[in-house]
Amino acid sequence: MEAGLAFLLVVALPLLGAPLIYLIGRLVERKQAGVNPSRWVALVVLLAAFVPFSLVAQMLFTQGMVISFSLGVIRLQMDGVGALLAGLVLVLGNLVTLFSGPYLSKEEHQEKFYALLSMMIGGMIGLGCTSDLFNLWVWFELMAIASYPLVSFHRHSPAVLEAGVKYLVQSAVGSAFVLIGIALVFGQTGSLAFAGIRANAPLTPVMLAAGALFLIGFGVKAALVPLHTWLPDAHSQAPSGISAMLSGVVIEAGLIALLRALGALFAVSDLWGVFLLGFAALNMLLGNLMALRQTQVKRLLAFSSLSHMGYILLGIGCAFAFGASNAAAGGFFHILTHGLMKGLAFLAAGALLYALYLANGKHQPLMVEDLDGAANRYPLAAFGLSVALLGLGGIPPLAGFMSKWQIFVGGFETRQTWAIVLVIFAALNSVLSLAYYAPLINRMYRHHPSTTIQTGQPVSVWMNAVLIVLTVGVVILGFWPSLAGWLTQPAAQSLLAALGG
Amino acid sequence: MAMTWLMLTIGLPWLGALVIWLVGDRDEKFTHLLAVAFSVAAGGAALLLLPYGKERLLFAIPMGGVFGDFTFVVDGLGVFLAAIATVVGSLAVIFSVDYMHGEQQLARYYAFVLFFIGGMAGLVLTSNLLLMFFFWEITALCSYALISFHNDDPKAVAGGIKALIITQFGGIGLLAGALLLYAYTGSNDFQPLLENPAIVPAGVLAWMGFGCLIAAAAKSAQFPFQTWLPDAMEAPTPISALIHAATMVNAGVYLLARFYPAFAIVPGWREAVMICGILSALLAAMMAMVATDLKRVLAYSTVSQLGFMVYAVGAGGVFASQFHLLSHSVFKALLFLAAGAVIHSIGTRDMRQMGGLGQHMPLTRAVFIVGGLALAGIPIFNGFWSKELILEAGLHGNPLWLYGLMVLVAGLTAFYTVRMIAMVFYGEARTGLHVHDAGSAMKVALLPLAIGSLTTWLLAGPFGHLLAESLPAHHLEVHSTWAMVEEVIAAPATYLALGVVAIGLLAGWQRKRLIPLGQALGGVSKAAAESFGFEAINRGVVIATQKLAEALRVTQPGLLNWNVFAIVCALLILLASLAVGGR
Repeated sequence: MEAGLAFLLVVALPLLGAPLIYLIGRLVERKQAGVNPSRWVALVVLLAAFVPFSLVAQMLFTQGMVISFSLGVIRLQMDGVGALLAGLVLVLGNLVTLFSGPYLSKEEHQEKFYALLSMMIGGMIGLGCTSDLFNLWVWFELMAIASYPLVSFHRHSPAVLEAGVKYLVQSAVGSAFVLIGIALVFGQTGSLAFAGIRANAPLTPVMLAAGALFLIGFGVKAALVPLHTWLPDAHSQAPSGISAMLSGVVIEAGLIALLRALGALFAVSDLWGVFLLGFAALNMLLGNLMALRQTQVKRLLAFSSLSHMGYILLGIGCAFAFGASNAAAGGFFHILTHGLMKGLAFLAAGALLYALYLANGKHQPLMVEDLDGAANRYPLAAFGLSVALLGLGGIPPLAGFMSKWQIFVGGFETRQTWAIVLVIFAALNSVLSLAYYAPLINRMYRHHPSTTIQTGQPVSVWMNAVLIVLTVGVVILGFWPSLAGWLTQPAAQSLLAALGG
Repeated sequence: MAMTWLMLTIGLPWLGALVIWLVGDRDEKFTHLLAVAFSVAAGGAALLLLPYGKERLLFAIPMGGVFGDFTFVVDGLGVFLAAIATVVGSLAVIFSVDYMHGEQQLARYYAFVLFFIGGMAGLVLTSNLLLMFFFWEITALCSYALISFHNDDPKAVAGGIKALIITQFGGIGLLAGALLLYAYTGSNDFQPLLENPAIVPAGVLAWMGFGCLIAAAAKSAQFPFQTWLPDAMEAPTPISALIHAATMVNAGVYLLARFYPAFAIVPGWREAVMICGILSALLAAMMAMVATDLKRVLAYSTVSQLGFMVYAVGAGGVFASQFHLLSHSVFKALLFLAAGAVIHSIGTRDMRQMGGLGQHMPLTRAVFIVGGLALAGIPIFNGFWSKELILEAGLHGNPLWLYGLMVLVAGLTAFYTVRMIAMVFYGEARTGLHVHDAGSAMKVALLPLAIGSLTTWLLAGPFGHLLAESLPAHHLEVHSTWAMVEEVIAAPATYLALGVVAIGLLAGWQRKRLIPLGQALGGVSKAAAESFGFEAINRGVVIATQKLAEALRVTQPGLLNWNVFAIVCALLILLASLAVGGR
C-alpha cells in the first residue's frame, strides 16, 4: 500500500466508520430490541485503523519518508507529533470501546455513543496532521462537537447536563477566541499555512494579540489554569470510558493544537515559553491542592489530570523557552504515560462504579469511602487502580517515574535557574500528590468492605481484560522506558523543528 | 560467575515476589514456604557474591538517552550491604512464619518484603544514579506498603503515609543530585565523579552534596527528619527489624559513605554531616530515655546509632561507620525480633504493662540481653569494637567537646538499654497475661543473630581489606582484626568511654533512686516526649497545606459566568504581559 493511501485510511476509517456504526446499530436494534452490535462494529473499525497506522509509522520512522495527502488547498502531513497522538488515540480508543460494552449494557442509544466516539477519534487523528490554521480549527471543532454529547451521555441526571453545558459554553468561548486569532493572523500575513505564517510573520502587536488568543483559546481545551473550571465536572460526570478518553487524549490533543498554532508564531515573541512555564506551575499547584479535598473518586482523578498537564507543560515549556530537546521528549513521553495511567485509573474506577452502582441501577458518583475493602471482591480493578495511582505519583517501577524523570532531566540540562526551580517545584508537587493517591490504595486493601462493596455486582471479563492490558503496559514502560523512544524522540524533533530548530 | 550471583541477588527476591503474588492466599503454609525459600536463596546468592567484591567488576545494560546505561558494580561496599539485606531479610522472613501465623493477605506481605529485599540489594550494587534513585524509591514504596499493612488500623495507615511523604520529600535531594550529575557530565554514572570531583563546577558540587545529605537524613531518620521512624513502628515487628533497623534506614548512611570522596572537599559539608549525626544521636537517645513503648525505644535507639554512623562519615571515618553499620544491623535486628517475640506473646507494646517476663521467656530474655549489651557497647560484643572505632575516628582533627558529647551519648545509650531490659524482663509481673517463649521459627531467626552479636567484630580485618581494595577513591586505612583489637585496648579513650558506659549502666539499674533528678529535668523530658517540637512542625505543615487547599476551593464556584469571566481575565492578563514585556 502506498504512503498516501495508508495515511488517508488512518484518518478516514474512524470518520467514515461513524455513520456506519450508527446505521448498523440503529437498524439491528429496530429489528431486535436489546441487541446492539454497534460496539463490535466500532471495534472492527478502530482495530482496522491500526493496519494503515503501522504502515505509516514504519514508513515515517524507519524510512524517513514524508507522508502527506492533499485535497485541494488542504494538506495533511504526518510527522512525529501526529504519529504519537494517532498511536495513543487508537490504543486508548480501542480499549475504551471494548470496556464500554458491558459498561453501557443497560443504556439506550449505544449506537450514538460509539459513532460519536469514532468521530472524536477521527477528529483527533486529523488534528495531529494538519498543516494550516483553519484546518486545525476544523478538526479541533470536530473533536469538540463529538465530545459534548459524549460527556452528557447520561442525560437524565441534572449534574451530568450541568457538566455538559459548562463544557460546551466554555469550549465555545475558547473556539471563538481561536477564530479571532486566525482572522488576525490571516490579515497580517495573508496565509493560513504554518510554513507560510512562519516565513512571513511580522513582529507587530496584532500578531502578539493573535498569539495570546491562541494560547487562551486552545488553552481552554487543554485545561490550563485558570481556564480549567469545566474539567472537574466534565471528566467526573462523563461515562468512565469517555473520562478516560478526555483525560488521556482530548486535553492532550488540545495542547498539541496549541503547540501547532503557537509554533507558527514562535518568532513573534520570546514570552510564549515563559507563559507555558507559568501555566505549568499553576496547573501543578492547583490540581494537586484541590485533589486533596475531593471525596468523589472521579473528581479526584480529574483534578489530578490538571496537575499532570502541568508536568507536560513543564517539559513543553522548557522546549519553547530554552530549546531543550530532552524536555520536549519527556513532555511527549508523559503524554503517552499519562494517557495510559489516567486511562487505567478512570477505567478501573469505572469498573468499580459499574459494579457498585450502575449494575444495580443507581446513578450515583463513586465516593472515596466506597473503595474500602474493594480488593477482596474486585482484585483486578483494585490492583489496576493501585498501579495507576502509584504510577501517577511517580513511584517506580512504573511508567510515570520514567516520564517525569525525562522531563526533569530536560529541565536541569538547560542549566537555567528558573527551569531548575520549576523542576524542584514539580518534584515537590509529585510528593504532595502521594498524600491523596496513597490513602485510596490503603482503603482498597482493608479487610472490612464498605456496604456498597458488599452489595456490588461482578465485573465483566472484558473490563478486566482491558485493565490487565493497561496495567502491563504501565509496568513495562516503567522498566524499559526506551521502548517508547521510537515515538517520543521523533515527536520532540518535529516540535523543535517547527520552532525553528 | 559474578554476574550470575549479582542477577540472582536482585532477581531471586523479585521473582519470589511475583510468584507469591500470583499464587495468592490459597494455602498459608505454601506461602510461608515460598517466602522462606526465595529469601534464603537470595541470601545464598549474596554470600556467594562476597568474594568478588575485591575485584570491582562492572556490568552494564544499555538503555540509552537520558536513562544512561543501567550499570551494576560489584565492590566491597555494595556486596557487604547486599549480604546484610538478604541474610537479615531471610531471618526476618523465617521469624515471620511464626509472627504472621494466621494473618490475612499474607501474599501481599511477603511479596512486598521480597520486593524490598531485591530493591535494597539493587540500591547498593548499582553505579548509575538514576537506578540508585529508582531502587531508593522502590524501598520507600515497600516500606510504606508494609508499615500500613494492617490497612484497617488508622494509626498504621497514617504512619505509612507519613513515612512515605517524609522520605520522598528528602528523596528530592537525591533526585536533584542525580539530575545535576546528568546535566553537567552527560552521564548518570557516578564513578567518574568519585574519582575526580572536579568534573562538575564547585557550586554544583555543593548543591549535590547538600542535596544528598538531605536525602540521607530523611531516609535514615536523622535530624530534622526523625519523626517518621517512631510512627513507622505500627508495622509488623519483622518489618521493623528488617526495614527500619537493619537495611532501609542504612541507605542514607550508605549514600553518604559512597559519595564521601566527592563531597568531602565541599566547604562545610563534613561539618554539616557531623552536626546532623551528633544532634540525631543526642536527641534520639534522650527521647529513648523517656519512651514507654518498647518499639519506640528501639526506634529512637536506631536513630541514635545511625547518628553515630553519620557522625563517623563526617569525621572521615568511613570504615568505622560501615563497621558499626554491620554490628548495628545484627544486634538491632536481634533486639527488634526479640521484642517482637515479647509483643506477639503478651499483646501490648507498652513497657509499663510488662515486667518479670524473664521467668517465662528465658531464651528471649537471654538473646535480648545479648543484643542490649552489644547496643550499650560492652566488650566483647560487636557493638563495643565498632563504637570505639567511631569515637576514636572523631578524635582526629575535631574539637574535644564533640568527642565528649558522643561519649555522653554512649552513656545515655547504656542507661536506656538497662531501663528497657529491666522494665520488660525483671521486676514484678504487672499483668496476669499468659506468656509463652518464642516459637521455633522465631528461635531459628534469633539464635544466628545472637551469635553474630558476639562474633561479627572478628571480621574487622577482612572486611576492612575488602573495602580498602575495592574503593580506591576513598583512600581507606585499614588494619587486621588483631591490630584493631590492640589499638582499641591500648587507647586511653576506650577506658574513658567504658567508664561513662558503666556509669550509664549503673544509673539505669538504679533509676528509681534518680527520680528526683528526673523531676528536676522535667522540662527536658517533656520536650523529649514531644520529639523536641518536630511533631508540632509536622502537624503544622499538614494543617497549613489542608487550609491552603480548602481556600482554593473558591476557584471552583460552579457558576458559569465566573468561569467565563476567568477565561476573559486570563486573556487580558496575557495581553497586558505582552504589551509590557514586548517581544
